[in-house]
Amino acid sequence: MAKKKAGDDTEVTTSSSNTTNILRAPAEELFAEEIEALIASDKHEKPASWRMSPRAVLTYICGGKAGNKEITPKYIGAPRLVEIAISTLVTDRALLLIGEPGTAKSWLSEHLAAAIHGDSTKVVQGTAGTTEEQIRYTWNYAMLIANGPSDGALIRSPVFRAMESGSIARFEEITRCASEVQDAMISLLSEKRLSIPELSKEVPAAKGFSVIATANTRDRGVNDMSAALKRRFNIVVLPSPATLEMEMDIVRRRVRDLSSSLDIKAALPTDEAIEKVVTIFRELRTGQTLDGKSKVKSPSGVLSTAEAISVLAGSMALAANFGTGSVSAEDLASSIQGAVVKDEDKDKTIFQEYVTNVLKKRGAEWRPLFNACSELLA
Amino acid sequence: MSAPWSVHVFGVRHLSPGGAWHLRRYLDRIQPDLIMVEGIVDGIELTEHWVKKGTKPPIAILSYTSELPMRTFVTPMARYSPEYQAVLWGHQHRTPVEFIDLPSEVFLGLQDEEMKRLEKLREQMAQAASEAEEDKETEVEAESPTIPRRSIYEQVAEIAGEGDYDSFWERNFEHNTNDESYRLAAMELGRSLRELEDESTPRHAECLIREAFMRRCIQAAIDRGVSPSKIVVIVGAFHAPVMSGEHPIMSDAELAKLPRRAGKLTLMPYSYFRLSSQSGYGAGNLAPAYFELMWNALESDNLDALPGEYLSRLARRVRDDGTHRSTAEVIEAVRLARTLAALHDGSAPTLRELHDAAMTLLGHGELAPIAQHLAHLDVGTAIGELPKGVSRTSIQEDFDRELSRLKLEKYRDTVKHDIDLDLRENRQAKTESAAFLDLNRSTFFHRLRILGVPFATPARRNQTAATWGENWTLQWSPESEISLVEAVLAGETVELATAFRFRQAIEKCESVNEAAKLIYDACCCSLPTMMDFARQRLQTLSTESSATAAVAAAAHELMQVVRFGDVRKFDTTPLLPLIQDMFVQGCLTLFDAANCDNDAAKPLMVAMDELNRVAFEFHELVDESLWRSRLQALSDNDDRNPLLSGLACAILLERGWMSNEQLGREVSRRLSPGIAADLGAGWFEGMAGRNRYALIGRQILWEQLAEYVANLDEDQFRRAVVFLRRAFGSFTPQEKRSIAENLAHVWGVDSDSAQAVLDGPLSEKEEQALSDLNEFDFGDL
Repeated sequence: MAKKKAGDDTEVTTSSSNTTNILRAPAEELFAEEIEALIASDKHEKPASWRMSPRAVLTYICGGKAGNKEITPKYIGAPRLVEIAISTLVTDRALLLIGEPGTAKSWLSEHLAAAIHGDSTKVVQGTAGTTEEQIRYTWNYAMLIANGPSDGALIRSPVFRAMESGSIARFEEITRCASEVQDAMISLLSEKRLSIPELSKEVPAAKGFSVIATANTRDRGVNDMSAALKRRFNIVVLPSPATLEMEMDIVRRRVRDLSSSLDIKAALPTDEAIEKVVTIFRELRTGQTLDGKSKVKSPSGVLSTAEAISVLAGSMALAANFGTGSVSAEDLASSIQGAVVKDEDKDKTIFQEYVTNVLKKRGAEWRPLFNACSELLA
Repeated sequence: MSAPWSVHVFGVRHLSPGGAWHLRRYLDRIQPDLIMVEGIVDGIELTEHWVKKGTKPPIAILSYTSELPMRTFVTPMARYSPEYQAVLWGHQHRTPVEFIDLPSEVFLGLQDEEMKRLEKLREQMAQAASEAEEDKETEVEAESPTIPRRSIYEQVAEIAGEGDYDSFWERNFEHNTNDESYRLAAMELGRSLRELEDESTPRHAECLIREAFMRRCIQAAIDRGVSPSKIVVIVGAFHAPVMSGEHPIMSDAELAKLPRRAGKLTLMPYSYFRLSSQSGYGAGNLAPAYFELMWNALESDNLDALPGEYLSRLARRVRDDGTHRSTAEVIEAVRLARTLAALHDGSAPTLRELHDAAMTLLGHGELAPIAQHLAHLDVGTAIGELPKGVSRTSIQEDFDRELSRLKLEKYRDTVKHDIDLDLRENRQAKTESAAFLDLNRSTFFHRLRILGVPFATPARRNQTAATWGENWTLQWSPESEISLVEAVLAGETVELATAFRFRQAIEKCESVNEAAKLIYDACCCSLPTMMDFARQRLQTLSTESSATAAVAAAAHELMQVVRFGDVRKFDTTPLLPLIQDMFVQGCLTLFDAANCDNDAAKPLMVAMDELNRVAFEFHELVDESLWRSRLQALSDNDDRNPLLSGLACAILLERGWMSNEQLGREVSRRLSPGIAADLGAGWFEGMAGRNRYALIGRQILWEQLAEYVANLDEDQFRRAVVFLRRAFGSFTPQEKRSIAENLAHVWGVDSDSAQAVLDGPLSEKEEQALSDLNEFDFGDL
């Protein structure tokens, strides 16, 4: 195909040779070793254009063993949901991941794309300003004016490129886009062809093409997806972590990863500190204490797991730069307060109530944190 | 003895369509001379009804003791139960079928022992609880018998890499249609289950006893001369590996030693709903309707179509509910389910994978919108049927007799019927039974209500005051049949069973108003002896407790009985002294009880109303002057709850026991500026809670009120406004208008302009003043 060559020319290079200087490398580079190991030990059948079998993808996401190599779990939660997500992509359906903020939607979507095609970088980052051209294609206007419509003047969107190469395009925050822009996906997903009337041709999707979109439940009201579009997706709702232990596990792993990639010179927070932060977040999120014995008010923020992670990373940074080098109660307190108190008046009283009614009665272990919190609030 | 025998053993799960299907093919191949099934040995007589034309599973064999304490034992069967199909096959091929599990008497006896054991355990735990130290130890001991029993199945599933035992079973047993696959796999499963089983549990001991008995039955058949190679034994997979002559056989002496309880056996219709909620039995029955779909698919040799059928049915239900789901989504759901199954090396999706696919496609990621439809589709509403006259319990016969006696047979229908009853004598009717037909019907319905048979439910009636009318809603459902059959445990007939339930309730009853309610119910059910029992109970209780609210409620309830008693042809004279007693008790305790806060005053307000009604209705019977004097005392006293004092005053006023002059004095005293505003206004609130027209008409009241408000200083006024606002809050606009007119009269303005001021919108300043009031500090109130 003539187009193919042109496509290669315009391919945007995302991977840089100098990975150490990148704030955050894509998943397929970070976990290249694991992916290689899985491919090497994979004995099951691979769907067309997949790099590994669905079962190997499941192992990659949920953890396990590939030969002798330990595969770290990337998504900690119900493996059933991951099974549904992978099976969706096997059946060439598009996948929509919905959930509260911080439930690892984008994280899961990136890792799925990385494992299946070794490329998680074909991303449309949805905003209110996203236009249809960013989903389909646009033109290099200088060339368009000089030569008229031609393959060379065509600028392909990530979705376009995914269709050509038979890989996965990711669509982040799809509900933030205007409805008419979202609707550009409808015929694309049902016909799996993209028409370019200017060149009087139609580009068929290669085998293996699929889309993983993510959306926040909290945003639902903003630009609700049309029923027609919803029908073209298999929808998986990602829940908040079900148990304290699960959430602690997620936080512990992510904090460790973050601190090494951000190069924070502080000791990792203790399990005890993690447990406290996660406990506080869970209690404020659900509006009751973990034992279910007393009700507490919920602040306006979401208090997602992601925020708990950044609270701990933040307190580590505080400890490293302005503190003793290991996370103290004061460091935790100021980060927690920053995360909880969003809307100054209301959230502050809610947090104050929580500190005096719940934390105060928690005994000696919690005393330093309580003191630090009440000092800040005073 | 010669070499140990070995017979054909087919291990099953008790509700397994795959098992039933494989079993039929297996029987076709072996062509046995004798089929032996794990089922209570004496239940075999009932199987002649299984093959009758009018029989429609699910049905169950119920064995029950005829004496207290009641023990019951139920063996449910669905169409796809291997045992049921075995009996059918035997009937179709003229092959004898025998049941070989322990007799029902022994099961009931064992259950009896087990119950006693658990009771003892509970007692021990209660004892241990008092000694805090030992508490933990005993708890661990007490829980241990149940935990390993649950988990051996889970362990097996885990070993196989499945999330739960049901999925494990379905994937490995139900979907495999290769010959012999089921039988051999079940045998293997039985072996591994036996390895994992904790042998110290009482359940395990029971299993060993049952297995020994089953082998004894098989031995007996072989001794009769049936060739072992022509015997097929059908037992649960767990028992399958030990059904051979190598294992010990129960001796006569051992059999005689087993505990026994005399019991009766009957067939009863069963429902899928019950099947699914009986988690203890055999398992695999969480989704009986789904398994029936599977059975049908197996029968038509089309198991592949099952996921499509299931999901299409679901989509249809969702659509009927008003949510559109396209066929494309169903197709995608089927594809997704199959892919999920493939991830687990399965040949077809299990129910769990169908649920997952349905949630993703038809629920758009969420379970909630389809959960109800899934439950419906999995469990279904199917109810079994038995031909008329087949193994009826005495109570069912009695029920049928009653239906025809009361001409209610046409209501025995699954459609809802409303029926209005007129309890009075029909004077045009020729016979006595016709004259009191509706009354007898009502009695019958009330008895069913007490028994918990949902055939007749009382419908709301607009005209509550009429003592002679009742509305009922009738709807026959198999649930009714089932609860009716279960009621046989309480008594042989509807009347006896109701009486039994009454006796239980009366013995349990702890408060006078409960007892009074039971008297009322006994009257409705026309059970004079039970009413007498309840009356005695009430008397005993009344000496023990004398909470005003309960006593007043009891007196009121009894009053209803006496009022209805006449129309129900019920002699209520024994109740009259009770009413007197209750009334006196209520009156005497009221004054002391009235020393309480506003929360406690609420039930007392109800009690005062009830006592007043009794006093009014039975003024000849009860000591009305006592009531009057107690009310007076309450009304006059300043140290009782002001709400109640106000209410007492209102009742006095209503009954005409207080003159205008007295009222004027009372109001001015209560609302004098020296008394705290909340007390005065509280009194007014109590007063205004009742009979407002009488109040509105009394000009003197309003004069006093106006004067009171005018005399308050600024701070008191603020307090008073809050309370007065609350007191007037429940008045209708019409009433408020009348009051405004009254006040206008007092102030000497014309009524229209007063009304205009009241109706006009609030000015900003007034608005501000009102919102300031909200922040008013009431101190320790």
